[in-house]
Amino acid sequence: MVNHSHMRSMAAVLVSVVLISVAALLTATPARAGETTDYCLSCHGNPDLQMVLPSGESLPLYISAEALAVSVHNQVGIECNACHTEIQTYPHPDLDYQNKRELARALYQSCQKCHSDNYDKALDSMHAQVALAGNLDAPICTDCHGAHDVQDPDEPRAHVSTICGQCHTTIYEEYHASVHGDALIEQSNPDVPVCTDCHGVHNIQDPRTELFRVQSPDLCAGCHADPELMAKYNLPSNVYELYELSWHGVDVSVYKARWPTIWHDSAVCTDCHGIHNIRKTDDADSLVNEQNLLQTCQKCHPDASPNWTGAWTGHHEVSLQRTPFIFYTQAFYASFAPFVLGLSLIYVILQIIRSTVERARRGLR
Amino acid sequence: MSTTSNHSANNRIGIIRTFHRFTVGQRWEHLLLMLSVIVLLLTGLPQKYRLATWSHNLLSTPERLQFVQQVHRIAAIVLTLVVIYHLANAFYLLARRNLPGDMLPTWKDIKDAWQMIKYLSFFNSKKPLFGKYNFEQKFTYWFMFFAIGIMVITGFIIWFPEFFTRLLPGGIIPATKLAHSTEAIVIGIFVFIWHVYHVHIERLNLSIFTGWLNENDMRTYHELEYHHLTGESSENPDRGESQG
Repeated sequence: MVNHSHMRSMAAVLVSVVLISVAALLTATPARAGETTDYCLSCHGNPDLQMVLPSGESLPLYISAEALAVSVHNQVGIECNACHTEIQTYPHPDLDYQNKRELARALYQSCQKCHSDNYDKALDSMHAQVALAGNLDAPICTDCHGAHDVQDPDEPRAHVSTICGQCHTTIYEEYHASVHGDALIEQSNPDVPVCTDCHGVHNIQDPRTELFRVQSPDLCAGCHADPELMAKYNLPSNVYELYELSWHGVDVSVYKARWPTIWHDSAVCTDCHGIHNIRKTDDADSLVNEQNLLQTCQKCHPDASPNWTGAWTGHHEVSLQRTPFIFYTQAFYASFAPFVLGLSLIYVILQIIRSTVERARRGLR
Repeated sequence: MSTTSNHSANNRIGIIRTFHRFTVGQRWEHLLLMLSVIVLLLTGLPQKYRLATWSHNLLSTPERLQFVQQVHRIAAIVLTLVVIYHLANAFYLLARRNLPGDMLPTWKDIKDAWQMIKYLSFFNSKKPLFGKYNFEQKFTYWFMFFAIGIMVITGFIIWFPEFFTRLLPGGIIPATKLAHSTEAIVIGIFVFIWHVYHVHIERLNLSIFTGWLNENDMRTYHELEYHHLTGESSENPDRGESQG
């Protein structure tokens, strides 16, 4: 299994370990912080250290002291054996894994010891389901967080999206070009959503479900209905409110409240604005830009003609400038309905009074 | 009078003279109009108030919603056919110079309304004399005429928005949706307070179903028409509410 050259170095390490252990026992000093790590690195600090797995893959056994130094675990004194629980000392027990992936999938279960919450959440995730279905490449803790160099995943914040982009490359490219991705990656803007803001962190769900679709406007509303945040970018914060009153929005509200697991086609935010490729509405590539709007409508309304886009009030409140037809209709009913119905009611009330008086008079006669 | 009055105290056999008021066609029109408008209101209101709990309870599955929409559309077609028949019939009669002008608004209706308001506010002791249709009935007719016109036109626009925006600007779609949904409420309230009062509470007037009106009602409420039909003088001191 192990190269001969390494056998020799291993033997050398073994000898020194024995000597150190004897020395340690003799002097009987209390355990020093970093002692275990130093002990492991005495072998694993060798950049050439590696072994070949039965699959033929070579498994590097080198742990860079520099990478280890930046790990959040190392900084709080968590040492190698906290995760590598099966290894107490040298010689190590035999490795029983066919390939690197199998090894990784076995070792990451140590995360559960301390991070049981997130570990369990991850077991409910889309990723875990994919793994269960047989795709062992589905990510585990260490794929996103790293193993020996675990760091704050959102430091900097753009790092989150880069992590997801390791596998979701096309979506990452789309996102990068979007108004959100550009602000995050190019301008380090902390206000825009990273992947996990919409998809969740450890219990990431399938975003193609009925439930996800019907709840997706709420995700957008999380920021786009926040007056303070929107004012910062000179955007209206009533778009969600107005959407909910629209033909599409009413439909979606009903499905959300009543039939969240039944598919519906009424447009949600992403149907028109795009998902990962959302752009500013005045961007020529925006799906809702004037030039592209008709085409976007036609995705659901194939018979729509150029006039059709005029039916869209564009999340704007009714106004004479923007929506004169609905403005005048509203003005007409605001005056006509109370006027006619009011007069009718007054007239009928007068009739009731008059006929009651008339009847009373006749009774007296 | 040539016939015996049914409230004559010393004669138990009463003969009620009746006057023809509506043709069979008009009675069918009203029946279909009434039924389709009721169905349209019942199926339309839960759609208008879809976010309300009671509407959720009625439209409890997507299939039920679809069913209600289908019923609404069928009733809409019935109403549209009634409207087409009504207009076609009116044009036909007009072409043959045979259209009865009883329902057309006249200067007398304005004067009658003014007199009626004076009567209702106790300035006059007697109601004005009315012809075949009084101004209240004409108001009902013309109000419903335009209201149903609005409902039918806006209804078809929001039924086939893709088609109509080929001809008309897109901005009319949200406007017609607002008009359709508001006008429906206006019609509902109007029929409830105005029409229901006049034909059920003021007096039970079923002439639109039976086709005839009895002599008493004819004399009380349509005295000019009564005299026109009987050829008697319109000078009748015993009229209006004061008549027994």
